[in-house]
Amino acid sequence: MAADKKVPDFSDVRSGSSSTAPGSTPAPTSRRTYTVVAGDSLSKIAKRSFGDPNRWRAIFELNKDIIKNPDLIYPGQVLTLPDA
Amino acid sequence: MRAPHISGFAFAGALLLGAGCGKKDDAADVIPPPPAATVAFRVTSVDLGKSITADKMIANSTDDFAPGDTVYVSVATEGSSPGAAIKARFTFQDGQLVDESTQTVAPTGPARTEFHIVKPSGWPEGKYKVEITVDGALAGSKDFEVKRG
Repeated sequence: MAADKKVPDFSDVRSGSSSTAPGSTPAPTSRRTYTVVAGDSLSKIAKRSFGDPNRWRAIFELNKDIIKNPDLIYPGQVLTLPDA
Repeated sequence: MRAPHISGFAFAGALLLGAGCGKKDDAADVIPPPPAATVAFRVTSVDLGKSITADKMIANSTDDFAPGDTVYVSVATEGSSPGAAIKARFTFQDGQLVDESTQTVAPTGPARTEFHIVKPSGWPEGKYKVEITVDGALAGSKDFEVKRG
């Protein structure tokens, strides 16, 4: 378990992009992601990422392709996080 | 006597032909302009640094960062495209995805596109990589490191 705590958490990373190219569009596909570590639950991730554990459902809805049961997530899964 | 006669005739014919060719060359003096050069869209450089200028160039190039730094990557491109998806994918040394962002551009010539990432709680120390792809094809990559000052 101690080794699990050493897995870095990049869930609070903020990113952006821009270009000098004409006709460019703001990054529409930029998404924050979170990699599940041991002991995580959707509500824990929601609380850590948004300060609101109730937003677990938004995370679940966005990741239904890889999460079949919201009570079962696995270390190493890369979840897409909704906009803050 | 026949041979010189034929040779003389052939010589006269050659002169006539030569004159004709000269005339043709004179008429072709106006050289048509070359077709407009179209430069294929491609990445020419990928640079890293802690800040950028207004024209998206890296102000101070470096691959060493501190935990509190914003990491900027500037992608220089040339050529035109009706729409090219430039993606920056940042990963940690263990392969974990840090962030990925896509910027769709429609350049008509040289351009620069910047991506930046920041982590309010501070970057973990270690080695990182950013890979740049254009429409899914790898176009360049850079390694960088985060160390405490």
